[in-house]
Amino acid sequence: MKRVAPIPPSLGTRFLALLVDSLLLATFLLMGEFLGRALVFPVEEGSLRTAQEILERLHYAALGGAGLLIAVVWHAARRLLGGTPGLSFAGALPQAESEVPWDLTLRGWFTLLFVELTFFTGWLVTEVNLGTFFTNFDKAAGVIRGLLHPSGAVLFEGLILLIQTLFLAFMATAFAIPPAFLLAFAAARNLTRESPAAKFVYTALRTAMNLTRAVEPLVWALIFISWVGIGPFAGVLALWVHSVASLVKLYSEQIESIDRGPMDAIKATGAGTLQVLRYGVVPQVIPPFLSFTIYRWDINVRMSTIIGFVGGGGIGYILKPRVDLGEWGEVGTLVLLIAVAVWVMDLVSARIRERIV
Amino acid sequence: MTAPVAVTVERLSKVWPDGIRALDDVSLEVREGEFLAVLGLSGSGKSTLLRCINRLIDPTEGKISIFGRDVTSAEGAGLRALRREAGMIFQQFNLVKRHSVRDNVLSGALGRTGTLRSLFLLFSDADRAEAQACLDRVGMGDRGDSRADALSGGQQQRVAIARALMQRPKLILADEPVASLDPALRNSVMRHVEALNREEGITVICSLHDLDLMKRYATRAVALREGKLVHEGKPEDFDLATLKSIYGQEAEFGFEAAS
Ligand SMILES: Nc1ncnc2c1ncn2[C@@H]1O[C@H](COP(=O)(O)OP(=O)(O)OP(=O)(O)O)[C@@H](O)[C@H]1O
Ligand SMILES: [Mg+2]
Repeated sequence: MKRVAPIPPSLGTRFLALLVDSLLLATFLLMGEFLGRALVFPVEEGSLRTAQEILERLHYAALGGAGLLIAVVWHAARRLLGGTPGLSFAGALPQAESEVPWDLTLRGWFTLLFVELTFFTGWLVTEVNLGTFFTNFDKAAGVIRGLLHPSGAVLFEGLILLIQTLFLAFMATAFAIPPAFLLAFAAARNLTRESPAAKFVYTALRTAMNLTRAVEPLVWALIFISWVGIGPFAGVLALWVHSVASLVKLYSEQIESIDRGPMDAIKATGAGTLQVLRYGVVPQVIPPFLSFTIYRWDINVRMSTIIGFVGGGGIGYILKPRVDLGEWGEVGTLVLLIAVAVWVMDLVSARIRERIV
Repeated sequence: MTAPVAVTVERLSKVWPDGIRALDDVSLEVREGEFLAVLGLSGSGKSTLLRCINRLIDPTEGKISIFGRDVTSAEGAGLRALRREAGMIFQQFNLVKRHSVRDNVLSGALGRTGTLRSLFLLFSDADRAEAQACLDRVGMGDRGDSRADALSGGQQQRVAIARALMQRPKLILADEPVASLDPALRNSVMRHVEALNREEGITVICSLHDLDLMKRYATRAVALREGKLVHEGKPEDFDLATLKSIYGQEAEFGFEAAS
């Protein structure tokens, strides 16, 4: 039904395609230069440079320009050379052309070469060294031996702080429920279609929550530690912010998937907006909300160990100094405690969630 | 002697954002106490018409009034007050599944209950007694404590009728109320709608696709075809030729062959 006749690509699409092609070609050239400098002329450059040093010496501007130039030429000579990868990316290739087998197109060969180049460049950029990986094992053996022989010295302290961790995660979740519950309605598309103001609130809220979630809980922990000081409360606040943002997303997606019927029926009785939400929406979403919330607690237990590492309280807090001092036996005990707690939480929360839905 | 007008629809059109003209210049008048059947093929605009009358859908053009009051321009509290006059019954029942049967019926009183009280399901004793009476009327008096989704389809629809009755409506909008029920159960539900019409004098506008039901219950019928009102008359006026003009030449009607 759709796309009966090929629609000529719009100016915007063609611009996007050209942009993508320029970037691809420039990257291609830069990777070529990187490999050349690293492999072919290592001595000329003064041998054994680190990947970072080579990256600093590449000719970004010149090769970027060259990439753009080649892209323009390819677009101009499209009849002869075939469609570009950018056009394919922008969805602007005619049906007939996108059905040609890849090994008959320049685009296909370019893509193949590009992927291979990326792999070899990546090997050097990340300084992959299989030699040390296979020969230096004995250095790590001490750590692993320690982890496998947990010491009883921190068992009691660890258990106490594990309890703190579980409560920390719980409080973060509990504090997150009321704001997330209220915001979720304003962040649900199906409830915010009526007026432009509601649509605006929807978009603003969605964006704010996505940004909040994009910031790692670790960063939130650093912020709150400088705010309320080192300790579990900072951890609660850090996980709270993150939990609100993710619960709003989960809750509102649930609201978006409800059956409209009961809402219409309640509206038809002459009920007001709050009543429609209370009777037409809330009963449908309570069980999934509960399930998401328990799942969130589960996640918060995992996250709180990392947060503890930087001073957010809980068991992670005493883990850090032992790692620094190389007390691998004690680290082993704590890691084991965390693993058991996470495993049990996982089982319990899965079980409860099964029961609810 | 004609009864006063209950519903007036004047030159009503509804165009959806995708360009579909679901209603096209529809005008009609319903008098108090009538049982008006709305016929038409699937997609002919029956639901759209009913939902415009209580403004679950905003019409594109035209004017609707119920009991002399303009629905199309009503907003906020005024619109909600008008909606209270019209109880609605849906093909899919649309009960709140996780609520008890009693709470579902009580939700019919939301329009006259304070917001704060209703958020906590705090209804007055008088409302509770009235809800029980509504349930008794549809023969569901002993099922008040069941969860709505524990009932059969026919029972759910009777609860939905009780909920509409709880609104103390002067008008009932029923959108294919028995289309998703077993044919054997259809009359048991339709009879309750008929009783409200006959005994309480509640005006009924009911979309139907079953012609036998139309002939049996309606006092008058209109037919929609592609959003246009194509026929209007007494149930007995709908003869084979008329029906073919509504449903298309290919349609077959069992009762015609039998009679
Ligand atoms: N929310 C909507 N958005 C867009 N188009 C809609 C919407 N609701 C209905 N329509 C369209 O309006 C037309 C009339 O639909 P309507 O539901 O009123 O028909 P109907 O007579 O009730 O049909 P049925 O017997 O299937 O219930 C159809 O073409 C339908 O696709
Ligand atoms: Mg319909």
